[in-house]
Amino acid sequence: MESQRLLGSAPTASKTGEQNISDEEWTEEEESSYSSYCSDSDSTIPEWEPYVDDFTGELLYIECHPFVVQNNKEVKVKPSEEPLTRNKVRHSTRGKFLKLLRRRESKRRSKKNVKSTDVNETNTSKVKFQDFQEGEEKEVMLEIDSENRHNLSSDKSLAESLLGLIVSTLSDGNRVMIAGFSYESKAKQERNIKIGDWLKSINNIGVSVHNLDDILQKFINRTDVLLKLQRVAGIEVTKDPPINELNIESEFVKELLNKKPYDEQSVMQCLCEFSIGIIYINTEKLSESNQDNEDITYCFPKPMQKNILCNSRGMFITLNHLLEDVTKSKPRIFSLKHNGHLAHIVTTNIDKNSLLLMLPDEKASKQEALLINNQLLTFLNFAYESIDKCFTSEHNLCQINHFFMRFFTKILSNESWITAEQFASSQNVDATEKNLFQFEGVMCAASTLCLPDSAQMQIDDALSELEASDYRDWNEEPLDCQRLFTILGSALFHSGYLLASHFIHEDLVDVYCFCKIQGLFRLSKTEPVKSLVLWKEVFPHSCNKEKNTRVKIPSGRRYLLVVESMKDLLAVIMEAGGCTEPPEGNSGPDAFYVEEAQATLAHIQELGLGELCDRLLAIGPHAQVARPLPPTGRNKGDFMSLGFSKGGVGTVKDSSSIISKKSEVTSILKKRLSDQNFVAPSSSSNSLQDDSFDGQSEGSGSHSEISDDSRQNSKRRSKYDSNEDESETDEYGEGSQMSVSSFDISEMRQCILNETEDYRPVQLTSGCEKNLFHFVQLDSAKGIMLCPSECQETSLTYDFILNNFRRCCLKIHVLFQNTLRFKNMPAQDIAKSVMNKSLIAIKEHGILFQCPYLDEKDNKKSKITYWVLGRLFYMPLPKEIYVCYQEGVPQNSVELAFKMCMASLY
Amino acid sequence: MSVYLVCSTSGGGLPIFSRKKGNSETLPFPIIGSLNGVHMFGKSFGIELLETLTDDYVVAWKEFEESIVIIGIASGCSVDVLNDLLKEVFSTIVLIVGIKELETQRNIERLKRELRVCSPVIDRLLDALDCGDSNNKFPSDIVGFVETILCSENHLIQIVLESFTECLDSMYSCILVCGKIAVATESWWSLHPTEIRLLSLLATSENTNESKDIPVFLPYKSPTVAFRFVVCTLIPEVQICCLCGATPVLSEIEHSVMQCFKNSTDILSAAVQCVPRNFPTTCILDGSILGHLLVNTTTKKYMMSKCPQMASKKTTSSSHRLDILRTFFYRAVINELIPSENAEANAAENNHEEKSEHVGIETYWCSEYHKCHALRVDDNVLCVLYNSSVPTHALKLITQRTIKQLISDKQVCW
Repeated sequence: MESQRLLGSAPTASKTGEQNISDEEWTEEEESSYSSYCSDSDSTIPEWEPYVDDFTGELLYIECHPFVVQNNKEVKVKPSEEPLTRNKVRHSTRGKFLKLLRRRESKRRSKKNVKSTDVNETNTSKVKFQDFQEGEEKEVMLEIDSENRHNLSSDKSLAESLLGLIVSTLSDGNRVMIAGFSYESKAKQERNIKIGDWLKSINNIGVSVHNLDDILQKFINRTDVLLKLQRVAGIEVTKDPPINELNIESEFVKELLNKKPYDEQSVMQCLCEFSIGIIYINTEKLSESNQDNEDITYCFPKPMQKNILCNSRGMFITLNHLLEDVTKSKPRIFSLKHNGHLAHIVTTNIDKNSLLLMLPDEKASKQEALLINNQLLTFLNFAYESIDKCFTSEHNLCQINHFFMRFFTKILSNESWITAEQFASSQNVDATEKNLFQFEGVMCAASTLCLPDSAQMQIDDALSELEASDYRDWNEEPLDCQRLFTILGSALFHSGYLLASHFIHEDLVDVYCFCKIQGLFRLSKTEPVKSLVLWKEVFPHSCNKEKNTRVKIPSGRRYLLVVESMKDLLAVIMEAGGCTEPPEGNSGPDAFYVEEAQATLAHIQELGLGELCDRLLAIGPHAQVARPLPPTGRNKGDFMSLGFSKGGVGTVKDSSSIISKKSEVTSILKKRLSDQNFVAPSSSSNSLQDDSFDGQSEGSGSHSEISDDSRQNSKRRSKYDSNEDESETDEYGEGSQMSVSSFDISEMRQCILNETEDYRPVQLTSGCEKNLFHFVQLDSAKGIMLCPSECQETSLTYDFILNNFRRCCLKIHVLFQNTLRFKNMPAQDIAKSVMNKSLIAIKEHGILFQCPYLDEKDNKKSKITYWVLGRLFYMPLPKEIYVCYQEGVPQNSVELAFKMCMASLY
Repeated sequence: MSVYLVCSTSGGGLPIFSRKKGNSETLPFPIIGSLNGVHMFGKSFGIELLETLTDDYVVAWKEFEESIVIIGIASGCSVDVLNDLLKEVFSTIVLIVGIKELETQRNIERLKRELRVCSPVIDRLLDALDCGDSNNKFPSDIVGFVETILCSENHLIQIVLESFTECLDSMYSCILVCGKIAVATESWWSLHPTEIRLLSLLATSENTNESKDIPVFLPYKSPTVAFRFVVCTLIPEVQICCLCGATPVLSEIEHSVMQCFKNSTDILSAAVQCVPRNFPTTCILDGSILGHLLVNTTTKKYMMSKCPQMASKKTTSSSHRLDILRTFFYRAVINELIPSENAEANAAENNHEEKSEHVGIETYWCSEYHKCHALRVDDNVLCVLYNSSVPTHALKLITQRTIKQLISDKQVCW
């Protein structure tokens, strides 16, 4: 990689002056990215700074939104102004670089852009989006507090000062909820305003958390405003305003942070009773004089005397050597019965060392144990450079103990992440209960959520910009120092689903396994995370010198930075050394880069992508996947309704295009942007088809340069041409390379959200009815996996079928490994190979099952028949698909795979 | 491509016998000792070592009656099949020496001597593993299942066999054609499938020209009391087997055999003609079928054929067809389509209505070179090997038609 110096962007002095002048203008008009320089530098320190480990520089900082404990629905309190603006300035840890960089508000950050550009548009669309919330609607006339009108204090929100209402967001993070009343508030006396109500509009202007302050600002001089409120069904709110309960961290978060001291002894004792354990043995140290078990480098659970694996290790060491001699192939897994319970021991040999992992059969079948071991190895290699270093370093010991404690308690408690304390105390952990089979969960591949092209492009754009870390325009004086880090790649996740990855595939798998095993995904799925910062030195696969001998890897150190907020998680791997400043000791996270990553995440959230993903996840499983239902007599009426529903979709489309046309007319953007540059949301209504065609020609996820989509062209234009097109930049905006700055973010948000409004995923199976129960597309070469999002509703039959599906998937996966192994076998080895020759070229396997309906008792006699089908594609890169569908219309596996591919392109 | 089988006493680790198959060296004693030692070592920790998978091999340990340990090492096959094989090996030992001899284990040398008789049977058992050995002479052997032959003369032979049992005063008898059961009495089918299989193998192992009179214990039906297993050769490749008590003596049995079968020689020699095909020539199957395997899931009997087409007699290229079919059966069919005995027993114990199991009906796999398809109709499962050119959606139709065709023929006594 070329060593890039951060030279000043060489603007002339006069131009700088111009910019400064225009700065002010923009602050007024557009709140440009150049808005605020930070003046009080080096005085504030980021809130996570105290948590940085002094020795390693590692950091795990989690800040949760406080939530009410009484009702289990996580009612979030409004985030007290975004954390980023507050910590504009970081105390710089080192390097000339940071001191030279003029601090400014992060460029991605332009929150105040989110003005409600068009009242009607916002209004209609908002109601449309949340049409699933039903409840009584009320209108309330509220007097504006005249005393506080011009007496706005900074520690009170506008709503509190003017209306006497403490607001918060509903669970979707967007809608405004009444969270409480301020002292002596008139609203308190108003009987129609209840805590927990959704504040829909003020004077008929739709309100969201983003535009609330702007709207209030408009009515600051009125005497009263008309509030429209709606009782949100199903959410019971306590009388106490949740604001009283501050900063409650859930047990899980405490456990993650290792905050809570737990009784290690009792937990260990509990763990010793089960057939679990992990030991790392140095076989060279194994000798007769071995008195203190010197050969055991690491063992869990402790003490060694109680660890069955430790006691019987001689058996496995012997077998390891013996069987390798006899069969000329390496042992992988031993199965045994311990105290009447079947258990599996996966063995991994690393030079003269052996790593043994023992899991009970009830919790992990043989295949699952092997796959879990793979995940574990990936994780340990990524986090500690190598298995050997992981266990030999004294310093890691405590961390690893804690890690394995969580690892095993999780497995024993059926993947439910209970805390150690709960585990030790609860007698009801039924560790002998047979676990459901796992397939997607134990694969080393990131499950992916596919987004529409426009959204995907915005994410890619934001990530690319972060990765480029091009800060030339940030300061007037030329910089003559190197940057601190090169960003090797980044990936964005939402609720544990991968949205975009700029990693090479192996690194993606590394990062995915890391986040998954560490529980970060679980965190983003279940906890109201306000902000999470993780910093750790890591050893990605791509930078492993032993595994990549053909590429010269610069000596340096790599760090993983994970920032998380709400459900979104951004992971970045950064390299110090190579073309950047050489690394210094065990440095902690750099405030500047953390801020950049957080800003990128905030920008993405501002674009409405979190909301988009939530919506996709909400509709996801039902659109493509059907529920097993008992056969009912079908009549013509069904076909009629089918026709109607198609018509229904059509009308939705029409209406959306009407809306977007309206917005086109009233858009204030139009005044500023040339027609050419204008992002016409109206194009979004037919973009669904366009996009899918583009996708077809482009291949997955990549946006090619050739595209006849005018919208994309215009965007690209604005991105790249702005520097050349002097007149345009002078007229319309600053000449920065910022793609975003020339657009109104709210406009884009609207555009992205509108586009998916009437999105219906492609039906994957043939036939007019949905008969697909589940599917998994496993792209192991790319490290990604596609499957329908988790479904909240449970049905006995469905779970029963899925469990069987996963069992078969594991089996079929093993079968396909034979084919892949043979394909990759060097020609000279084929003759010597003892493989079963009947298994070397299998590419498809299907099984038809029949099972009774379990949901309805009286309907038990009716049966359901369904196929489980696996298909392997090994050209150009290995890819496996697994589907489960009701028997009826015959399906073609190639066609299914093709449709799945198309669906993944959106 | 190699299989090892080691049997030793579980207490002392003394080797009883060791067999191998394939082009590999015999295991030296230290290795046998260690393999056994590891198993023994585990016992002191309450650990019972069961099996190990390596990249290419599977290894299984199994202790029987707390007296002997049988260890199997095999390449290419699945561990379930190897475990079933170990059970069969143990049954073979019981068949010859009885369960008491094993339990008491007074004299190891005597045990070894006695077991020499069953070495050919054990070697033959190893042929049932699908370890991809191209030199396998018996690619149609299947662990735990009894091979039959569907001759069009079967119904005639059945009549003769009935009359024979009457004059012999034994309900247990059967006719073997090339070691495959052509017909057998109802009582014979009431024996455990493993017993039937082992007796068939015992009858065909070594000098088939002479009559045999061997004392056997039935591992499931009568592991402590011995019966006489008498085999007489009717014409070359055709044998009659029967189980009887102390009387009548062999010469008497031979005499009744002569009496009953002297007029049926033509029928029997016609039956032998059926052999490589294993089902009647009158039964014309679809042209895309390269081989098939018909299995009855209750009696555990099967018929396997590799050349349904009379026209194409490319026997050389078709030898691996049976391998493919057998591997397909082991990997894809046996666990999914054939309800296991345990599951059935559990279901019977529990409430009958509570039987919420997934029942496999149909399965297939497609390779680059062929397609395999299996379909279950009531108690019968038919596995068919197809050309790879047959469209996948057509497989079900052809299999359905074929199974009907094979079962409907009353003459073959399926």
